[in-house]
Amino acid sequence: MTRYLAFAALAMVVAGPANADTLDVAAEKYRPSMVEYIDHAFDGAKILRERVAAHDLAGAKQAWIAARTGWESAEVFTSGFVPDLDSKIDAWPNAQTGFHAIEAKLFGAGSTDVGDETDLLVYYLADLDIKIHDVRLNAQGLFNGVARLAYEIGSNKADGGESRYSGTSLADMRNNAAGIETAYRLIFADALVAADPALARAAQEQIVTLRTQLDVPDLTKIDPTKLRAASEGLVVTLQNAAPKLGLRAPTLEDLVE
Amino acid sequence: MIRQVAALAMVACLLAAPAVAFPVSGDQTALPPGTDLAEEAPDQPRELFHSDAIGGHRSYLVELGDMAFSAPSLLGEVARRAGISCDTCHVNGANNAQLFVPRLSTRPGNFDVTNGLFNPKADNGILDPFTIPSLRGARDLAPYGHEGRQASLRDFVRNVIVNEFGGREPSPAILDGLVTYMLDIDFIPNPHLGPGGTLAPGATDSEKRGEALFSKPFPRDPSLNCASCHRPSAAFVDHTQHDVGSGGVFKTPTLMNADSNAPYFHDGRYDNYAQVVSYFDSFYALDLSTQDQRDLVAYLDAVGDGDHVDEPITIATRLAELTHFATVLDTALPAHDLEVIVLAVDTIGGELRDLTESFPERKDTSIAGGREERGKARLALKEAVLLLRRIELSASAGIFDAAIGELADYRKAMAAAEPLLHAAEPWSLFNPTNRVAHYAALRDVLQAAEKPSR
Repeated sequence: MTRYLAFAALAMVVAGPANADTLDVAAEKYRPSMVEYIDHAFDGAKILRERVAAHDLAGAKQAWIAARTGWESAEVFTSGFVPDLDSKIDAWPNAQTGFHAIEAKLFGAGSTDVGDETDLLVYYLADLDIKIHDVRLNAQGLFNGVARLAYEIGSNKADGGESRYSGTSLADMRNNAAGIETAYRLIFADALVAADPALARAAQEQIVTLRTQLDVPDLTKIDPTKLRAASEGLVVTLQNAAPKLGLRAPTLEDLVE
Repeated sequence: MIRQVAALAMVACLLAAPAVAFPVSGDQTALPPGTDLAEEAPDQPRELFHSDAIGGHRSYLVELGDMAFSAPSLLGEVARRAGISCDTCHVNGANNAQLFVPRLSTRPGNFDVTNGLFNPKADNGILDPFTIPSLRGARDLAPYGHEGRQASLRDFVRNVIVNEFGGREPSPAILDGLVTYMLDIDFIPNPHLGPGGTLAPGATDSEKRGEALFSKPFPRDPSLNCASCHRPSAAFVDHTQHDVGSGGVFKTPTLMNADSNAPYFHDGRYDNYAQVVSYFDSFYALDLSTQDQRDLVAYLDAVGDGDHVDEPITIATRLAELTHFATVLDTALPAHDLEVIVLAVDTIGGELRDLTESFPERKDTSIAGGREERGKARLALKEAVLLLRRIELSASAGIFDAAIGELADYRKAMAAAEPLLHAAEPWSLFNPTNRVAHYAALRDVLQAAEKPSR
């Protein structure tokens, strides 16, 4: 690893890295997408609460899926910037709050007896919906989020994946990948093209490959070997790109600094 | 991750009826809902290599075969998607008495390889599962397969990969490795046995009486006795197939380390030695007394024993295995052997990702505390996965010198990871308390997802 850092340092001297401060400004370009995703999740959760109160199982399921779509698209942001809310909203396995607690009862047991859990989900998403307007975005944090999510997509889903009761695990992964592409395109793509066109081309191609691997009819048709190679290949490229962007190598866990 | 499937299936089995299939939708897993691969067991069969036992070291081919044995990508599409490798059924070269796959198993420990799930062409149209044999002592146990149809272990292994599991034709080098590895797996030493398979000093009276009965001519056919097929001096086999009234002609199974090989008979119809002895008493009209049967069981217990046949799965055992797997790269990289490099990166990387999940992520509600320690352990393992990937990327680009440097980086990263994993152990699934809590949490989810009883 030391060797990469040395290479990276050399590259910075020769080509000149992008400026991290400039990227922090570019990070703001991501906020409208993030707001849209969380709004989507929040709106879905409110409809979910309404449908649950009306004991409308089909409507509640539909609203859960809609809320989930927004949430999964925003994971580039949520894991690093709001870890505590992330832990509450996306807790598993025997969660008392959040998406998966509701999912098990709603989709598994076919029960709308999820009023308390849904109230909490709405409460937390409401909190998040406020925070996203004020939270200070920075490029390093979003870069970490992109890399973390890219790595996570490569994990084996042979067990049915993250959202197995709702059968939306594949959709989760696709929304993750779409979120990665959005954040990369809005914040990092232009800077990397300027700093290292070959790396930028590699990153773009690997994002496309990742999405292509998820373009299958159902979860069981995913090729785990190719998906993992695409996932890890993208993260390696992001590691290589970090110094060119004036960033630190992305950290794949949200350790307390 | 398949470990999680198995675990969930396992806890599903523990639930009071009506148990729910998992996952509920039933169409999101490569294997049928309810599958139990028993990979969550806290212990594993101890594996003893002949090359180690005689004071040598494991050769490249042994290491290659051991690694390939754990490679899902060696088998066909379905197995690969399900994360199944040879080692899933033959855990550490032994058996897997708990493995159960709905529609392919009739009881835990047996499995129908002539079904349509893994290879439609292998489907013989009937449910005829066989027990999963232990490979311990395989070099002394030819011919191979329950029916003993294959004199060559190499032919047998190729048939399993290509025909039964629908895998691609393995390269000669990989087949060489697999066969060399299997032939290197020793029986676990048995302190109850002396030279020539006789009972060692200190045997109980019951065991000694059982030993005598084992060689006693059968009343109806004095040319036969138990030992005429299960020859004590030849690993308790005669390398021959027989019809013992069990529905076909099957080769004599070894009795060495067989205490761990239940269920017994080719299809696993018997749970224990007492049932087996009772069957033979009836089939051969042996007229055994109750005490005779007890003595034979005592003898079989002694013959089938081993010194620590199982061992706990620990951070150290997991890391040691990964260290051995990675040694194949020392030979494959300078040889520019891309096939082995790709296989090693895929297999070791998969194992590392599995190991990462033994240190639960922040969002796991079943583990409290140690968040920072768990995070550091997970981070270290993820970094190692990415260093491995760099090896494959460099090698695939033909830059083998860089790949060799990256292998050194990978080893440094793994060395640096080791203390972090140990530091996180109290909050990991290697801690029995956490293990119980984690699977209890999974059980809670299954219960929450159960449809109300009518």
